[in-house]
Amino acid sequence: MLDTNKIHEIIFEALEAVNAEREEGEKIIINSETILFGDEASLDSLDLVSVLVDVESALLDVCGFSVSLTDDRAMDQEISPFSNIHNMTKYILSIV
Amino acid sequence: MIDRALYVGKIFVITGSRRGVGKLLTEHVLENQGFVIGFARGKSSIDHERYAHMSLDITDSVAVLRAFSQIAKTYKKIDVVINNAAVLTSQYAMIMSPQLAQAMINTNLFGGFLVAREGSKLMRKSKWGRIINISSMAVPLEPIGDSIYAACKVGLEKFSNILAKEIAPFNITCNTLGITAIKTDMLDQLPQDKIAKVISDLIVPRFATSDDIFNVFDFLISDRSSYITAQTIYLGGVHKN
Repeated sequence: MLDTNKIHEIIFEALEAVNAEREEGEKIIINSETILFGDEASLDSLDLVSVLVDVESALLDVCGFSVSLTDDRAMDQEISPFSNIHNMTKYILSIV
Repeated sequence: MIDRALYVGKIFVITGSRRGVGKLLTEHVLENQGFVIGFARGKSSIDHERYAHMSLDITDSVAVLRAFSQIAKTYKKIDVVINNAAVLTSQYAMIMSPQLAQAMINTNLFGGFLVAREGSKLMRKSKWGRIINISSMAVPLEPIGDSIYAACKVGLEKFSNILAKEIAPFNITCNTLGITAIKTDMLDQLPQDKIAKVISDLIVPRFATSDDIFNVFDFLISDRSSYITAQTIYLGGVHKN
């Protein structure tokens, strides 16, 4: 069952994988307000790609169908799904 | 003495594994103790304990995604992806069927993108990988009739070079191997006088042998080739002006 908690778990796990590659002191603080994209984000572009790949892959496992987080629909959102985890979660819930 | 155990523990995905160069490469990997997951539209033509066949159309993005999802669950990793599958219709552009041209673009370029894309995602996790895209002497030699085929291969080469930049941080290399004429089913479709002309234009004017291909193939996959990426290597001495 895909709900807010499950999606948070999936996104947090993807961010933990990024943290696993980082030194102490450089790790991302992970909570629902964590900014994923933009000037204030703690992720670089390759980190964000890794997070998206992991989240899409986990959603495929959970839902049984593929979900694209970077298609036109995502780009057309008034509030970017990548602005923070809260908005990404809301976006995922809206498309699955 | 030739080492016949180059690929112990390595898992390959080879597209177009049923015949031609794809089959030769598959047999070479198996002979060297590797494990091959072969992609092809038709049924398997290889029966081996270290060969697993997946019947799928690489131009179908959902099918490719499902195949890699299954691979991830079953094998956990991929070490090498060989984008070999290709279709060739050689015809003057003015009378080339749009459907056949589209089929070449779909298989030779878009299919290669889909397979490399999903393969990269899996390789990313293990921080080691090799992607080899198979190109053709048609790119530098520009033979009449091969306009769309060569255009697809140019596209594949450029895709390969940029993908190489994107995946280098994961210790994955991506290179292109431009093969010359080798006696395969694909080559049999072409007029023999045309083939003779193409061969005579090579610096080394003969057909490629399977070992000519294996030599570069093994070189690109070697652990020692981690510093070789975004390169296109042509056989037979052909080169771009």
